Amino acid sequence: MIENFLAGSSALFGDPVTIAIFVFGVIGGMLFGAIPGVSMLTLAAILLPFTAGLTPAQGVMLFAVIYCTGTYGGAITAILFNIPGAPENAPTAFDGYPMTQQGKSGKAVGAAVLCSAIGGVSSALIMMAATEPLAQWAIRNIGPPEIFALVFFGLAVASSVGARTIWKGWMSVLIGLLIATIGQDPVGGINRYNFGVGDLAAGIAFVPAILGFFAVSEIFVQAERKAGGTYKAPKVSMSFPTFLELWMHKFAVLRSILVGFFCGILPGIGATLAAFMGYGEAVRWSKDKESFGKGNLEGVISSETANNAATGAAMIPLLALGLPGGALTAMMVAVFQMHDLQPGPLVFYTSPDLIWVVFAAMFYANLSILIIGLVETKTILNLLKIPFQFLAPLILMLATIGAYISRGLVLDVMVMFIAGILGYLLRRSGFSIPGIVLGLILGQIGEQNFAQGMQMVHYDLGTYFSRPICAILIAAGAVTLFANIYRAFAPAAQPR
Amino acid sequence: MKKMFGTAAFAAAMAVSGSAFAFQCAVSEASMDKPGGFPERALTMIVPYGPAGGSGQVAAAMAEAVTELTGVAINRDHKPGGSGTVGMTAYMAAPADGYNVLEHIDDASSAHALDSSLPNPAEDLIPLVVSQVTFSQVYIRSNEDRFTDWPSFVEWVKAQGGRATIANVSKEGSMERVTMRFITDATGMEIQQISFDKGAPRYGALLGGQVDALFEQPGDVRNFLDAGQFKPILTIFDERPGVFSDVPTHREMGMEFDPLLRFRGFYVHKDAPADRVEWLQWAFQRGYCEDSYQAYNESKFMNVIDSYRDTDGAKDLITRSISQYRDVYKAMGLDVK
Repeated sequence: MIENFLAGSSALFGDPVTIAIFVFGVIGGMLFGAIPGVSMLTLAAILLPFTAGLTPAQGVMLFAVIYCTGTYGGAITAILFNIPGAPENAPTAFDGYPMTQQGKSGKAVGAAVLCSAIGGVSSALIMMAATEPLAQWAIRNIGPPEIFALVFFGLAVASSVGARTIWKGWMSVLIGLLIATIGQDPVGGINRYNFGVGDLAAGIAFVPAILGFFAVSEIFVQAERKAGGTYKAPKVSMSFPTFLELWMHKFAVLRSILVGFFCGILPGIGATLAAFMGYGEAVRWSKDKESFGKGNLEGVISSETANNAATGAAMIPLLALGLPGGALTAMMVAVFQMHDLQPGPLVFYTSPDLIWVVFAAMFYANLSILIIGLVETKTILNLLKIPFQFLAPLILMLATIGAYISRGLVLDVMVMFIAGILGYLLRRSGFSIPGIVLGLILGQIGEQNFAQGMQMVHYDLGTYFSRPICAILIAAGAVTLFANIYRAFAPAAQPR
Repeated sequence: MKKMFGTAAFAAAMAVSGSAFAFQCAVSEASMDKPGGFPERALTMIVPYGPAGGSGQVAAAMAEAVTELTGVAINRDHKPGGSGTVGMTAYMAAPADGYNVLEHIDDASSAHALDSSLPNPAEDLIPLVVSQVTFSQVYIRSNEDRFTDWPSFVEWVKAQGGRATIANVSKEGSMERVTMRFITDATGMEIQQISFDKGAPRYGALLGGQVDALFEQPGDVRNFLDAGQFKPILTIFDERPGVFSDVPTHREMGMEFDPLLRFRGFYVHKDAPADRVEWLQWAFQRGYCEDSYQAYNESKFMNVIDSYRDTDGAKDLITRSISQYRDVYKAMGLDVK
């Protein structure tokens, strides 16, 4: 493995053109990941035709690098402005933005940079060591029932995040789950709650909903404070987390690497589920659950470690089996095909050089996050010095563009503003925005897999428990659920 | 059954075209004057599916070919969702000035067949070219030892008492669901269809043994076929295509229904100026002839049967498909509007 890695590194850095492509991918991924609406997918789609002029190794490597750095890029805007660049950065905003408001933006951004790099590098190392056996294990043992069980397990702790009471936490999650049912059902294609609006058949898109619930509702809250004379500009903090602070969260990092890697390896799931599950596990294992959603550094650490840990993992089913885990890895298939190659088990024998250039590039791309992230962070933090009366319209404009540009639908802009108003009103009443977003995103993934799983077990719920992984996850989720209900009746359930 | 599902002549014509196919470029003119300077800016191609799937890839290949030919850039605007309805709605709302074109698949025809208030691709749109026509197959894992061919598969499925599974895209009224209905009616077997709307989980389900079989088109699983991981056991077409000469057709296995085909093509709004439509027809039909596009089609098994239809041929294909689907839906007891 080490010899192959060195050979891949040598091929990567032995050619100026390849180095230039690598650097372009690193910076382009970060930029496109950070701007809401224009994600790393936008950059990848633009670049796809141009990869025909590159060597196969350069083309696939470019996309792999964009995947690594693009997944990190959205964390910065999520922490500083409550605008997640992509759905996989949404859990980062749950605690990252409250930290900014508390004057701890430097710690949040520093942790995001470091943990993205740790998650990504760890994932790349595991990927190099065990791609083929892991891919074979995953497709044999993880099907729709297990994925649904995983989502159920994740949702079981969602009520603990950010709400005034447990009951309001659960109501928030249920609102998210309800919103997730809008549009065609994922199995039969039957329209639900679309009220004859054709565009709603596709459901509520994640990006405008997240922008509305986070960015727009926050603008309304801050505007109200400004009008009432209680607005306080966030302090610009340049202090990064200390080694001791990070060391205290070592188990959270380790857990998020495992969770992120596990989610990333599942075909068609990817970094979004990884980030939400990583965050959920941080809440589950914490002794201070109520502090999540209010500026707990572990929330940022868990989310950012997990989503980058998913990047290397997502390459495993792609390279070992030819199964892309998400939209960007699916575009990598097109890059392979442009060069008359097919990802899959044979590619390890037919194009080993290509594979190791890609592996090495992903490793170094994740290291680049650390270097570039730390260098750029102090500059980016100064954005917080922009006065609210200038910053708010700028954020609204960026969010509106971001909501529209992802699908080119006016409906999405309307969804964003409706979500913003709804989010504003629900926050005033003590409901949890993270809970709603958890319900929305996990609901869409969970419903699809539940329906497919029910078909696989012939609509016999009991058969779910005959699958060991599924049974363990559902049982663990149920225990958490009942513990939450118990707590709701205990004195701790008083308004907090 | 044959009478019920009608259009036997259509199937026969398809079979003939399948057996006699050899690529010939139908558009002889290598260049055409731009009418009144049109197009003087980039075209926009609305694609109702994501960039990574079959539609996204064929849209990219055709856009590249047309740009190579004409020098006119084509911006692809992906509007996925609702089985193509979101993209279709967006396209119908876009200006009918010839600058906006649409990529769509046979789902638009089956959707109109089920609900006539939705656009009819042969009447509300003008097909510029249909550039991919393909058939479906049933696949099993190559290392499968419970069954090895279609007869043993049917026998095994019947023995499972309805617990056997097949992965496909089995949304209401879809080509996959309708064809599976034909197959189960004809064989008397009962099989649970598992609907996966994305390719990777669908193929992974067969690879990992989560399902027993897979219903798919050969171009979409070519890498698994080339790697020797999947094995076709049934071709749903009237004749054996050359590259699958060892795979029996559904008719050979005693199933007398007309195969439903998957097709992808490019369209412009019927109200677009006629001279612009004519230029677009030339550009897209000639684009089909470009080497880059032909290489793409070949890589997707789209040269196995005749994949080309000009405007009239496409209208004929769409109209017949709509009629065929409508008959099927009525026979299935669906609410045809």
